[in-house]
This record gives sequence, structure tokens and C-alpha cells, in this order.
Amino acid sequence: MFRRLAFENTAAIFTLVAFITAVSIYVTITWRAWRMKRPQIEHFENLPFSTPTPSARHEANAPTV
Amino acid sequence: MSDRKITLEFNDHVVRQFLIATLLWGVVGMLVGVLVATQLNFWQANFGQAWLSFGRLRPLHTNAVIFAFVGNMMFAGIYYSTQRLVKARLASDFLSALHFWGWQAIIVAAALTLPLGLTRGKEYAELIWPINIAVALIWVVFGVNFFWTLARRRERSLYVAIWFYIATIVTVAMLYIVNHLSLPTSFTHSYPLFGGVQDGLVQWWYGHNAVAFFLTTPILGIMYYFIPKAAERPVYSYRLSVVHFWSLVFVYIWAGPHHLLNTALPDWLQTLGMTFSLMLWAPSWGGMLNGLLTLRGAWHKLRTDPVLKFMAAAVTFYGMATFEGPLLSIKSVNALGHYTDWIIGHVHAGALGWNGFMAAGMIYWLLPRLWNKPLYSVGLANLHFWIGTVGILLYVAAMWTSGITQGLMLSATTDNGTVLAYPNFLDTLNAIRFMMLMRVVGGGLYLAGFVVLGYNMWRTLRGAQPVNGTIEVFEDEPARPADERVGVLGTFLNPPVLFSVLGSGFACAWMFGANALSIAGLVGLMLCGILAYAHYESRGKAWASWYDRLLVNTAPFTILTFIAVVAGGLIQIVPLVLTHHAANVEDRRQIPYTPLELAGRDLYVREGCYTCHSQMIRTLVPDVLRYGDYSRLGESIYDHPYQWGSKRTGPDLARVGGKYPNVWHLRHMENPRAISAGSNMPSYASMLQHNTDVAALPSKLAAQRTLGVPYPNWTPEQITARVAEQAIAIAADLKTAGAYVAPEKEIIALIAYLQQLGKFEAIAPAKAVAAGQ
Repeated sequence: MFRRLAFENTAAIFTLVAFITAVSIYVTITWRAWRMKRPQIEHFENLPFSTPTPSARHEANAPTV
Repeated sequence: MSDRKITLEFNDHVVRQFLIATLLWGVVGMLVGVLVATQLNFWQANFGQAWLSFGRLRPLHTNAVIFAFVGNMMFAGIYYSTQRLVKARLASDFLSALHFWGWQAIIVAAALTLPLGLTRGKEYAELIWPINIAVALIWVVFGVNFFWTLARRRERSLYVAIWFYIATIVTVAMLYIVNHLSLPTSFTHSYPLFGGVQDGLVQWWYGHNAVAFFLTTPILGIMYYFIPKAAERPVYSYRLSVVHFWSLVFVYIWAGPHHLLNTALPDWLQTLGMTFSLMLWAPSWGGMLNGLLTLRGAWHKLRTDPVLKFMAAAVTFYGMATFEGPLLSIKSVNALGHYTDWIIGHVHAGALGWNGFMAAGMIYWLLPRLWNKPLYSVGLANLHFWIGTVGILLYVAAMWTSGITQGLMLSATTDNGTVLAYPNFLDTLNAIRFMMLMRVVGGGLYLAGFVVLGYNMWRTLRGAQPVNGTIEVFEDEPARPADERVGVLGTFLNPPVLFSVLGSGFACAWMFGANALSIAGLVGLMLCGILAYAHYESRGKAWASWYDRLLVNTAPFTILTFIAVVAGGLIQIVPLVLTHHAANVEDRRQIPYTPLELAGRDLYVREGCYTCHSQMIRTLVPDVLRYGDYSRLGESIYDHPYQWGSKRTGPDLARVGGKYPNVWHLRHMENPRAISAGSNMPSYASMLQHNTDVAALPSKLAAQRTLGVPYPNWTPEQITARVAEQAIAIAADLKTAGAYVAPEKEIIALIAYLQQLGKFEAIAPAKAVAAGQ
């Protein structure tokens, strides 16, 4: 690079660090998500249904083409 | 507290406005796309008009589709779903209206300036600086309106769609501002603050994450709201959506350098970009599966419901595109696919399949509900789906075939790898002409599908009464429990965050420190892990309650999301920006352009030559055999903006300087087919008619000097004299070759620039490093 040669030998470490970091994130978040309580999950997943939605009434009047 | 209920009316007026704008700009953007695709087959399709040429319209196509089509669709979806998810009307009708009209004004300004050649010369970041400021301001309006609405919400819990919207707002603001930092030279022109490799890195940090945080995260939020609504069942796994969100926002931001593989970008950055790109497979497919599996038990509805058809196909295309993206980020695969139509196919699988079909599904779902009238024709919606699907498949298959064919032909060698099998670039172009034609057909079919949607929408809306959604809420909301609050201090001063920061610090010391520091880092990391576990064992509730409180607190959640996305950018960009770039080069340094060459370069940028020509010879044998010695990063350090390019519809130009005589360039620009039979390059004969803008050069050179390009402090008279001297010399050379062009014409400046490409100052590496210290 700018000091490209000096950095080149350390490229392998970046791969390793990247892998460890990403795995840590995945594991931590997965663990956290796994520990969520069922009532809490049900509350969250039903949020889109907490507001009434009018029907589209597709089938009633739509002409066929 | 009163238990009286009131009726809250949502602001669906702005949703309807954005919805109509989505369709309008979508058709415009796709129409321009079909036109530019046609121009690649029939160069005459620009009708001899400079403002209709490929290099000027291609940025219009990409900007229209990304910011106008998907942008408007995203705003419609976010405003509709957010109001309902948080049970609050949008905070300000004025801000909502300002957001809508401001965004449309920006789109109109872009549609006017880009064909005029007013551009910054960076992909998806072409708009000139006054429009950039307008975009930033309107984005702030959007952000204020959104977060203000969240602050007034009646539902404390933040659904995962809201998380994706928050990530979108904060990240796009960060990316857009950093990549658009510029030094103006006039009201319509500026130079980017970054140059050369720095500009390339910042550009693709932005460019890749524009895909991530403009075309993906908001649409994922929309997916998490609208698919459950359309399927009438909750998301398959809320747990998976949590993993999906955090892993995606953290990992995506690091992947930008995969757009610069095998180039002069430092290897450690290439490796980093490639590795994180491969890791994106996991969260992307997690999200895709979560979307598809939400349809469990509702698959039969796909037979009759066009909404679910579009959404299921969209999520499938999301899965395809996010499988292909990491695949293309593997260095060896990238060596084949980069600069070819394979990338175009990949991008369009995402844009047409994922974004376009999600937009269509959402529109069909919203139309009857926002106008209180059944959709005019379900049959037409189904017709739209099928011609759109056939269009995408035709387009993508053609581009895959074209890209792989051209990639293989450009890389093919004989005589034990020492001679190119297809030395004439045009051979590879001729081989893909049929596929390029199929792209026009596929794109045309897709566009026709949206025209059908437009007709369906028009017939549905005709005579319909717009209706705003309502909800019954308590007049006085219960006070928020004190134990729900986190606060800014509480965001950071809590066990999970503190142990994570400490652990990361020790890990860095272990990996990057020398001797004692490394050992201390390792010991510290182990101690940190043991203490964290012990603390969790005894105070596990503190860890869990912090996270639970985070789910109902907007500000701390936003701050943590911002930290997650900013980390990758800082680690990648800061070292490159802080390094003295002119001193730390390997063995070559760019020679600053003469004033005339700089004027020629601005013309090159104005005409969008970078949309078809790269200026980066990769560290690959076929590239070197075809174009010359591989490009060093020092050879473009003064390029504001960098012009490495991302597509080779024509050959690389990094070392074209001196390869041909001046008259060759003149004839080639005047009529490319007179020099290269079968070329699909537009004619630039108008550059023989127009004069070079010499009067603009003093302010341009002053800006370049401010940016670190070592120009002397010339007076305007000295600049004019230097321009005249070089222009007269080129004109005289042309005259000798039998061509007469006045020295003040634009073509002279362009020739001067092209003939300079590949010229450099050789310097000893040791000296270069020493000079930088």
C-alpha cells in the first residue's frame, strides 16, 4: 500500500480476527436470542397484528382478465 | 389516568404520495435502463445527442432506480408500517410533506443535471454538491420525523422492522456524508476530498453499503412487516430475526473492499473484505429462510394471491443474490467475473428480483387498503408477476452467460500462458452481442410488467376515495416504568458492553502487540473471559435486563446500532486516510496533470467514460498481457475522483497514454467505428465543436492544491498560457497527420489527458517510505 509491503505479511491475521469477531457476534446474539422468553417472543412477533387491517376485498369484485 | 379511548388517525396521505411516486419514477428509471441497454447493441440509439449518450444516462438509470424507485418505495413502506407498529401518527405533517416534496425535487434536479454532464464521477454518488446537501437535509428531515414518531409511540416494544429502519437511517446518513465530502470549484462542480486508492476505498465502503443499507435493510424491515400481514401469520422465528439483524448490520459494513479485489488496494484490506463477504452468507440466508418460512401453512395462497407471489419470489431472489455476492467476493472467482456482465446480472437479480418484486407486492397489498377499493384486476397483477419473472430470468441468465463468456475470453491464453488467445478486445464484445440483446428483451418485459401495474393502479384509483387508517387508543397512556429506562450512561456502563470492550482491547493487544504486550493481552483476555462468566453466573439478571430494556429504548438502541456499523468503516478507512499518501507509495508516483490535461480529465468524468472503461490493471497475468504492467496505487494518488472503474465494456485505459498517436484518438472519438470496426462506443464528435472551459481552471487548480496535489501557485494568465502552449502543440501534431482541429476545442484537452495516462515518476521504495516518516 502506503506501506503495502509492511502490511502484506499480516494479512492472515486480519482474516483470523475477522473470523473470530464475526463468530463472536453470531454466538453472542444467538445465545441472547435463544434466551428470550416465549411470552416475550409472542409479544414481539404479534406486534404487526396489534393494529387492525382492512380487507383488500380482492375476490369480491375484481374482474378477471 | 383516564381510561377514555380516542380514535387516532394515521397519516396515510404521505404514504399514498410515496406510493404513486414509486411507480412513476420506477417506470422512468427502468425506461432509461432499457434505453442504455439498447445503446450497447445499437450505438445510434443516442440519436447523436450528447445528453442521451450512455455515459450520461447510465448514472441517471442507476440513481433513478436506487434513490427514486426504491427510495420512494422504502419511505412508503416505512411510514405505513411504523405508524402501525408503534401506534402513533407520524409526528409532523409538515415534516412528512417536506420529506416527500423535497425528495421529489432532488430527483427532478438529478434528472436534469446528470444528462447535462454535471457529475462527481463516482458511481451512485454522481450528483453535484448542492444536490448532495439537499439529500443530507431531507434525510435529516426523514430521521427527525421518524425518531420523533418513535418518541411519541404508544407501543413500547420495538418490532424488528423498526430496528432495520433505525439501522438504515443512521448508516445511510454516515455513508452519504463521508463519501460526498467535496471541495467545490463552482456551483456545479467539485472535487472529492479523497483521491486515488483512498477515494476507491471510501467509494466502495459507500457503494457496497448503499446496497446493504438502502436496498437491503429497509426492505428487510418491510419484509418483516408485510409478509406476516399478507400471510396472516407471525414471522417464522422472531429469535432468528434478532440474530439476522445484529449479525447483518455488523458484518455488512466491512465487505466494501471486495469491489477492489486484485487491484492496487492494500492486500490486508482485500483479505478483510473477502472474509467478511463470505461471512455474510449466514445472516443473509438466515433472513431469507425466515421470510420464506413465514409462509409455512400459507403456500396454497400463492396460487391466488399476487401479493404473496411477488413477496415469495422477491425473498427467493434475495437468497440468490446474497449467495452470489459472497461467491463473487472470492478472489479467484472475482478475477473472472469482475469488470464483466456477471456483476450486472448479480446486481439486477437483487434490484429487479428483490427490490422490484417487494415493491410490487407491497403496492398491490397497499392499493386497496389505502384507497378503500378492491384492486381493479387480480388477473393483471398475476400477468405482471409472470412477465416480470420471465423478464428477470432472461436478463440474469443473459448477463451470467455474457459475463462468464467475456471473462473467460479475456483471460484465455496460449503458449503456456504467455500469449493472449483473444488479443482483440472487440472479439470478446462480438461474442456477447446476442446476450446483450437478450438483456434488452428481459429488461423490456420487466418494464412492461410495471406498466401493467401502472394501468391496474390507475383503474383502481379512478373514482376511489383515499382513506386513512385509524386505531383506538387510550387518551392517556400509562406512565413508563422507571425500570424500563436505560439512559445514555446506562447504554455503555453495563456488564455486557464493558466486558466486550475490555475483551476486544485485550484481544487486539494479544494479536498486534509485541512480546510482553502480546502476553499481557492474552492473559487479560483470559481473565476477562473468566470474570465475565463469573459475573454472569452471579448477576445474570443484570445482563438479561439490560438487553430487555434496550428493546424498548430507542436512543440507546440507535447508539449501539451506530457503533456496530461504524466500527468496520473506522478500521478500514482511518489508516488509509491518515497516512501521508504521496510519500508512502511503492515505486511509482503519479505526475500531476498539466492544466490542459486536468481540463481533459474533467471532460472524461463529464462524459461518464468510467462507466465503460477501467483505469486499473489488476495483478493478474491476462490483465498484464493485455494492458501492460499492473497498476500501482501511487499512479493514481492525485486522482480526485479516482477513475478505476467497475466495468469494461471497452478496454482498460490505465496505460493508453502514448500507445497511439494523437490523430488516432481524434478519429476514434469522432467515429469509433472508423478505427475499431464493430465498436459500440458512442461518437463524441460534438467535442470537436465545443471549446474547453479554460476560465474554470484557476479555481479547479486551487481546489486541487488544497487537496494536496503539488501544483505551483500559478496565476490565471500563467494557466492560460500553459494550456495554449500544450493545445497548440497537439493541434500542430494533428495538422501534420492531416487533421485540422482548433487548439481551443474540447477534443484537444481530452487527447492531452488520454496521452498522459500511464505516465509516472519512478521513485525508490526505501526513499518513499523514509519520506513518509
